[in-house]
Amino acid sequence: MRHFLKYSTAAAALAATLGATPAFADNVVLWVNAPLASAPDAPIYAELKAFEAETGHTVEIQAVPHMEMERNLFVAMSGGAGPDVMALDIAWVAGLADAGLLADVTDKSDPIADQYQPGPLSAGRFKQRQYAMPLYTNNVALYVNNKMLAEAGIDAAPKTWDEFQAAAIAMTDKDAGTFGLTFGGSRVGAFQLYPFIWQSGAEIIADDGTVGVDSPEAIEAVQFISGLYTEHQAMPASVLTANSWDEVNAPFIQERAGMLISGDWAIGALNNGNPDLDYSIVPLPAGKEAATVIGGYNLAINANSGVSDASWELVEWLTGPRSVELMAQYNRLSAQAAAATDEAIAKLPEELQPFMMQASAGHARPVVAQWSQIHSDVFGTVWDSALRGEPIDEVMTQAATQIRQILGQ
Amino acid sequence: MNARAPRNQQLRRTWSSVFETGTGARIYPYLMVLPAIIIVVGVVVYPLVSGVMSAFYDVTLRTLNSGDMAFVGLRNFERVFADPSFGIASFNTLVWVVLNVVVQLSLGLGLALLLHRAIPGIGFFRSGILVPWVVPSVVAVLTWRWMYDPSVGIVNELLVRWGIIDDYHPWLGDTATSLYAVTVESIWKGTPFVMLLLLAALQLVPRSILEAASMDGASGWRKLWHVILPQIRVSFAIAAVLTFILTVNNFNAIWLMTEGGPLNSSEILFTLAYKYGFQRYDLGMASAVATMLFVGLVIATTLYLKLIQAKEGE
Repeated sequence: MRHFLKYSTAAAALAATLGATPAFADNVVLWVNAPLASAPDAPIYAELKAFEAETGHTVEIQAVPHMEMERNLFVAMSGGAGPDVMALDIAWVAGLADAGLLADVTDKSDPIADQYQPGPLSAGRFKQRQYAMPLYTNNVALYVNNKMLAEAGIDAAPKTWDEFQAAAIAMTDKDAGTFGLTFGGSRVGAFQLYPFIWQSGAEIIADDGTVGVDSPEAIEAVQFISGLYTEHQAMPASVLTANSWDEVNAPFIQERAGMLISGDWAIGALNNGNPDLDYSIVPLPAGKEAATVIGGYNLAINANSGVSDASWELVEWLTGPRSVELMAQYNRLSAQAAAATDEAIAKLPEELQPFMMQASAGHARPVVAQWSQIHSDVFGTVWDSALRGEPIDEVMTQAATQIRQILGQ
Repeated sequence: MNARAPRNQQLRRTWSSVFETGTGARIYPYLMVLPAIIIVVGVVVYPLVSGVMSAFYDVTLRTLNSGDMAFVGLRNFERVFADPSFGIASFNTLVWVVLNVVVQLSLGLGLALLLHRAIPGIGFFRSGILVPWVVPSVVAVLTWRWMYDPSVGIVNELLVRWGIIDDYHPWLGDTATSLYAVTVESIWKGTPFVMLLLLAALQLVPRSILEAASMDGASGWRKLWHVILPQIRVSFAIAAVLTFILTVNNFNAIWLMTEGGPLNSSEILFTLAYKYGFQRYDLGMASAVATMLFVGLVIATTLYLKLIQAKEGE
């Protein structure tokens, strides 16, 4: 009996100590893509300190490289582990949500939905439910080397397909070893190709599920871009093997290629690689219509998280109004509606303005659960085949059949 | 002596005395190895069995989370066989393994024989030749990627200067050359290890046998074939089996150089299994390929070791 009393007193004392800490103080594990936490003084650390001070929760942050994030999330979460809150590329939301790995936050997000830009917000929706909130948004634009353009005798950056092709050919000089355009191979090249498919007026997979990659317009778009390599030799041979952005950027940094199609993430790499590089960023040239591909990262909550309320508080904090300021420190674009006003755009650094100017022409990649497979297997193969001179119409017909098979149509 | 014996018998019995006689003594050794067995079962046997089982279940991102994985019999294997990439990958695996094993063993043996001599400064060459083996594989692969670069790579530069090719060639980007380009890197990386194993074996060949052979007038080749090789046969077999296994499983070289591309031209079964698993998230198909690889490896290794043993008996 004496023992019992002794233990229960101890238990009561322990409970009292625990109770003295702030109510509902939880520890939230957060995985972010590596660039956001690249150094100990990265802005996100200060932001998390502010969050911890305000809410009493603690946040454990882990940086994961972009190329490994999807696989690591998959492996960790399907084993019932993984982070509470994760940053994920907007293209992965559908796949993870379909597998039941992401928490449905529709009820919590609906009241604050009008804080966000509609395009990026919709990228977190799958089958009419909200699974992720936009952390930052981006799209791809055209980078042009001013010196090479001028030396080729062209006075303005291309605005149409014809001007684009003419500029690429004019900057190509086999003897000097210069090319018009650097481009990626396989998956990376496919990502750069999507805007041109939309610009031709074609759809990749329409909202109603119709597969449009075998339409004459889509075939023409792939023909147009791949022709710059196969017909005009206006791309360096690195296009055959470049499967990372570093390799795509290299010829542009070395001034061996005059143009580059990339998002705002290239700015840092270019400035680091060659501080003397004189380049401008302009909206992508337009085909039948203007189009670019929307990218960016969302924050989502693990369906199995034991601290889902604290997790939501963190998501709301990082994607909320404060994100305008936070993302500006990274030279990235917040997905808050307040970040897209004329006034806010004017305040942006000059090199980011072209991206915001074409934001309204942004297309999200098809929100289907099997998108990662379609992107790597089907479009990676389409682009590699096109570069190796295979007949584009056959390649695209085969791709359409494969996509329909994958989608179970 | 007599005075001490009774005192020994009076030693206090402790709890561990139960292991000194009878059943206790019989289970004692098993208890000692139990922790090791538990660990081996946990990290080797369980994953292996679970991997093989997955090959017969519908394991995808979706079913893994919900937990209702259905038994599908051989359907995963059917789907793998129906995929045209599987045929390409199987053929590539064969080419990849044969080239790697044959070239690494012959080069390794050649180098070991060269470096076996006792000449001044041989230590420098012996350690120098180990450099490829010591370099971390990721560093080696990325370096080779740059060396093969179609615009600035040193491989192209040298070949053009020596007049072997007229123009820069995208070695890793051409479907006809990508597999062979990666093979060259893999041979460069793997040969020093083979050499090291064989060199160690050569050091153990008794000098007297070689001297006897020389006195009997055996030529260099005959000495190699009839004296040296039989002496280092066991090490040679071990080197062959290890090279075989390491080559089949050499995922790093291919994945970091080409990701199995372009257009599956350098795809081996291992990279294909990885793609099924972590690009399609279809672990059922990935396990089917991995199971076939595993069975193939076990059969080939057993056959080879049996052959060597049979020769030993002769």
